[in-house]
Amino acid sequence: MLELLLIPFLEATIRTATPLAFAALGELVSERAGVINLGMEGSIIAGCLGGAAAAVLGGSAVGYLGAALAGLLLASLFALFVVRLGSDQIITGTAITVLGLGLTGTLFHLAPTMVGVGATLPTTGPVPLPLLSSIPLFGRVLFTQPLPTYVLYVLVPIVAWWMRGTHAGLALRAVGESPVAAAAAGVPAARVRALAIGFSGIMGGLCGGTLVLAQVGSFNENMSAGRGFIAIAIVVLGRWTPYGTAGAALVFGGAFALQYLVQTLGLALPYQLFLAMPYVLTLVLLATLHGRAIAPAHLGR
Amino acid sequence: MSASALALTDIHKTFGDTRALDGASCTIRRGSIHALLGENGAGKTTLMRIAFGMIAADQGQITRHGAPVHFRSERESIAAGIGMVHQHFMLIPAFTVAENIALGGRGRLDAVAAAETVRRIGAATGLAIDPQARIADLPVGAQQRTEIVRALAHDADVLILDEPTAVLTPTESDELYRWMRRFADGGGAVVLITHRVREALAVADDVTVLRRGRSVLQGVAKSLTEDAAVTAIVGDRLAPDVSAALMPTDGEVLFALEAAAVRDADGRQRLRPTQLLVRSGEILGVLGVEGSGQRELLRLLAGRLAPSEGRVQRPDVVGFVPEDRLHDAVIPAFSLTENTTLAEAGALRGRVDWSRETVRAQTIVSDHDVRASGVQATMRSLSGGNQQRFVVGRERQRSPRALVAENPTRGLDVRATARVLETIRAVALAGGAAVVYSTDLDEILSLTRRVVVCFDGFVREVSAPADAEDRTPYARALVGADA
Repeated sequence: MLELLLIPFLEATIRTATPLAFAALGELVSERAGVINLGMEGSIIAGCLGGAAAAVLGGSAVGYLGAALAGLLLASLFALFVVRLGSDQIITGTAITVLGLGLTGTLFHLAPTMVGVGATLPTTGPVPLPLLSSIPLFGRVLFTQPLPTYVLYVLVPIVAWWMRGTHAGLALRAVGESPVAAAAAGVPAARVRALAIGFSGIMGGLCGGTLVLAQVGSFNENMSAGRGFIAIAIVVLGRWTPYGTAGAALVFGGAFALQYLVQTLGLALPYQLFLAMPYVLTLVLLATLHGRAIAPAHLGR
Repeated sequence: MSASALALTDIHKTFGDTRALDGASCTIRRGSIHALLGENGAGKTTLMRIAFGMIAADQGQITRHGAPVHFRSERESIAAGIGMVHQHFMLIPAFTVAENIALGGRGRLDAVAAAETVRRIGAATGLAIDPQARIADLPVGAQQRTEIVRALAHDADVLILDEPTAVLTPTESDELYRWMRRFADGGGAVVLITHRVREALAVADDVTVLRRGRSVLQGVAKSLTEDAAVTAIVGDRLAPDVSAALMPTDGEVLFALEAAAVRDADGRQRLRPTQLLVRSGEILGVLGVEGSGQRELLRLLAGRLAPSEGRVQRPDVVGFVPEDRLHDAVIPAFSLTENTTLAEAGALRGRVDWSRETVRAQTIVSDHDVRASGVQATMRSLSGGNQQRFVVGRERQRSPRALVAENPTRGLDVRATARVLETIRAVALAGGAAVVYSTDLDEILSLTRRVVVCFDGFVREVSAPADAEDRTPYARALVGADA
């Protein structure tokens, strides 16, 4: 029972939570600077295509680099409009997402066989960590995962420490609360916001890279499948903290993994019901959580 | 004599088509307290924001100890030893005192060291604050101390304080003044932006008076009388045309405030218990610098605000012309017709009779000389003067027993101003009453001889001087003299 159901379910939870956690961690940093990055979805899909293309050219390591750069590229465009030109965050973010989805679709059609289904991408499968992976139960769940998951194990504590323990982290949180007051204290508020958006783009790109290189193995149009928006819900559920966000990403990962569990159990329920699960969860959480009180005071403005 | 700690020379600054500073100069000596005086909009805060690097001057020179400096941001001015305590505090409410003081640094955040800095400066200066307290939980006096301690933590030797006593009790103010003296005696320099002339003359060494963006007086506080300072602040304006001003009447009481007071959401008393009668046939002129309680007084009379203490008696229909017309009076994206209907929206139900509303809107437009392409034009498409004539006309059309108008001629040209004042006068002449607040003393004096002045939440009636063109009693009441 444990072997057949629980371990595969938990293992799948962490696997599916990994790309979500990348995107949500990026979104968290951006939101703590007061910017809702609705262009996250665009960065993710750009990361998918950029990661796939770069991996074909230079192997999987280059693939992740390409994914990060592609995500950063779209986020830079977002930052240009929002920070430099003072455009509305919501409208600009939506436009960046639409642009990302459209542009990747168009580029993909130029050479569908290169990165699409049937192409042989250098993927990165699970890497059992020596010793740790032989711990009963936890070993298979936590330490038999693709490399990006291990990166997150390190990155989440680093971001948490950085936000609390450095002047840059303090400046980030101050800008999210009141850019004017932060500037009066000598914080370059616009630059802080731009850098936070840049980081969120890199994280979005890595989310896409993980999807294409560690999970699916090929590029499909719209394969980001709303993860950018789910990331926003994860940040709300995570109460705008790094560890909270990581935990919330696991909740959503579990919602995705439910469908595998149902298939394994052979339940006669339509699987679409479970496919819809994370999205229903997003809706319910965004509608019911009263996050305003603890959200950064200047979020979205 | 040693070079000045900070000198600003011939500073010019224009915002859009408003000339905020037009040749302002100010020299701050080391070891001195320097009072910067002037009316609202005289340019005091703008000048000091330029000194602090928040905004750039269009023209002019800044020197520090005799050497020219150019601050492109607050960061640069802070590094150069200048600190500023803003009128509206620039602290992060969600952060602790220590976090606010550490803000702007680099590298690893050492919370223990930041708290230690707060304690050390507190012990050395008497400005004690709990480093772990959250700003949002602190009273304003402690928030102000946090701002000062932050500047001192950055080794500021020039400290700019913008209206620091506006939020303090008299005891706290005295403490602050004593601290300022110690700071100056220790070699620092303080710039005190204020509109309280008497306090400024008592506490400062040097005085600079700004009027309409220009420095009109620079001198030593000791050799300056209060009257001389007030005259410099208010200036030699043209005498107002007071011939048409209405006299107080003994008609029917329309408004009666009985010990009515207003507290804001934070529990601070904005309007202290006030007795006031306004009778039919009268215009009551209200004067006061920003934040003195006149905003609350007008809203009590207009029925937009309920008193937190006391009672308010008012007529059933009171027209209200708020200061910020685009926010508080109309919806810019709606048409003139829709905005006409909107004034009654709270009282109406069911289907809107648009043909009737169109006629009403057309009546306002023709009666009050509103220049618009038609009543279907959006409010936004009108010029400021036309918007205001529409708002005033709409309130007049509701046949109010009384009209309350807040700075109704702000930003209007001469023709539009005359038209608006004429409408206000008409309400009183028809047996109603009007209450008008204006920042322009001459405008009030051309309307009425019955004037109250708000200062620090108190409403004080100023009896009309024998000489109708004498403005001294009003000017003095405005800056809190004789209080």
